[in-house]
Amino acid sequence: MSAGYVAVQWNPYKRRYDAFVCGAVVLYLGMFGFVGKLLFRGEHALSDEVLALRALGSCAFLMLSVVLCIGPAARLDRRLLPILYNRRHLGVATFLVAALHGALALGYYHGFGRINPLLSLLTTNTSFTSLRAFPFQLPGAAALLILFLMAATSHDFWNRNLSARLWKWLHMLVYPAYGLVVMHVALGALQAQRTWWLAALVCACAATVTTLHLVAGSRERAADRGRTSMIEADATAWLEVGRVDEIPPDRARIACAPGGERIAVFRYDGRISAISNVCAHQGGPLGEGKVVDGCVTCPWHGWQYRPADGQAPPPFTERVATFRVRVDGRRVLVDPNALPPGTPVEPAFVEESCDA
Amino acid sequence: MVVAEAVVILLAVYALLGLLFAVAFVTCGVQRLDPAARPAPWGFRLLILPGSAALWPLLLLRWWGSTKGGASS
Repeated sequence: MSAGYVAVQWNPYKRRYDAFVCGAVVLYLGMFGFVGKLLFRGEHALSDEVLALRALGSCAFLMLSVVLCIGPAARLDRRLLPILYNRRHLGVATFLVAALHGALALGYYHGFGRINPLLSLLTTNTSFTSLRAFPFQLPGAAALLILFLMAATSHDFWNRNLSARLWKWLHMLVYPAYGLVVMHVALGALQAQRTWWLAALVCACAATVTTLHLVAGSRERAADRGRTSMIEADATAWLEVGRVDEIPPDRARIACAPGGERIAVFRYDGRISAISNVCAHQGGPLGEGKVVDGCVTCPWHGWQYRPADGQAPPPFTERVATFRVRVDGRRVLVDPNALPPGTPVEPAFVEESCDA
Repeated sequence: MVVAEAVVILLAVYALLGLLFAVAFVTCGVQRLDPAARPAPWGFRLLILPGSAALWPLLLLRWWGSTKGGASS
């Protein structure tokens, strides 16, 4: 949260997470080199540079696939939320590994001539109409540029100062980047090496990423369809959220307004309050978080908001939209018209004993 | 070849201008744009330097806007 900026907001969990990622990358690169030396011997022996290129490239591809799988996997299984918590560091690590791959390739294949390596990259192969001889380096370079932009703007400072919408748009470019990487691998390594295991690995990664997104998306759409029951009362079209006892204590039930906006309706301390489901930080699903120390806590990065006014506790200044709520008998109703972010709303009071 | 040369030259000029801008921005511009960055440590400023160099036209406009806004108020 943005009371003041620091370089990296470390905590013991993040340190363990990052140590694991660093260790896994080093182990993968070492194993790749070791197995590569064993498999390719004699006249098929690969130079250290080529082995390093392949190790770094495949490592970056696997890491990017994992980064893309984390989001939908955590939506399907909440136990994976802790992995989502530090996805940003994994993304930056992916860029660093990909950048090493790119720098090594540029230096090894284009760095020893008389012309500028970048110029050499752009002019050596211009067979854009041939599928077999396509300059596969260019999609790779374009993907690397996108990963750089994402890593360079991953700090909360950028989220706050670029505006949430522009920041989100910029970071959604990861999907075109993944497509470019698949193109880079398919037109490059897969054509040059023609090994079944590499083709299987690329197909399995791309299929896993696509399937997880489709399954998570269809499940959310199905859930949204079941959350739109409107009731006319007091000249207001209220959205029926469900019964009080269907909302677990200190948790929320997510309602979907007719326009598609999701509303997180929380039950806490014998009260019901509703705020936007979208965290002001990175758009995390507040309704999947819980009330901790009286504040709604985002499951992605722990940003907090008071349920009655949608404001972050001092000294923080973030705000989310709030919604009017009422309890009719045992039914929880919410006015789907969002109030300006940070607007205080009187909570609806409920009898905690009605759970029985 | 001519197009490729032009692309490389444009990239180099953009990156050089971006680097010069980024040094000035993280030194004295960032706190004008975002008061929360006023007491920020140098580690933070170093971390936002690559992004400042990459997005310098956008930040230059915002920095200029914040200077004009500050002057008029």
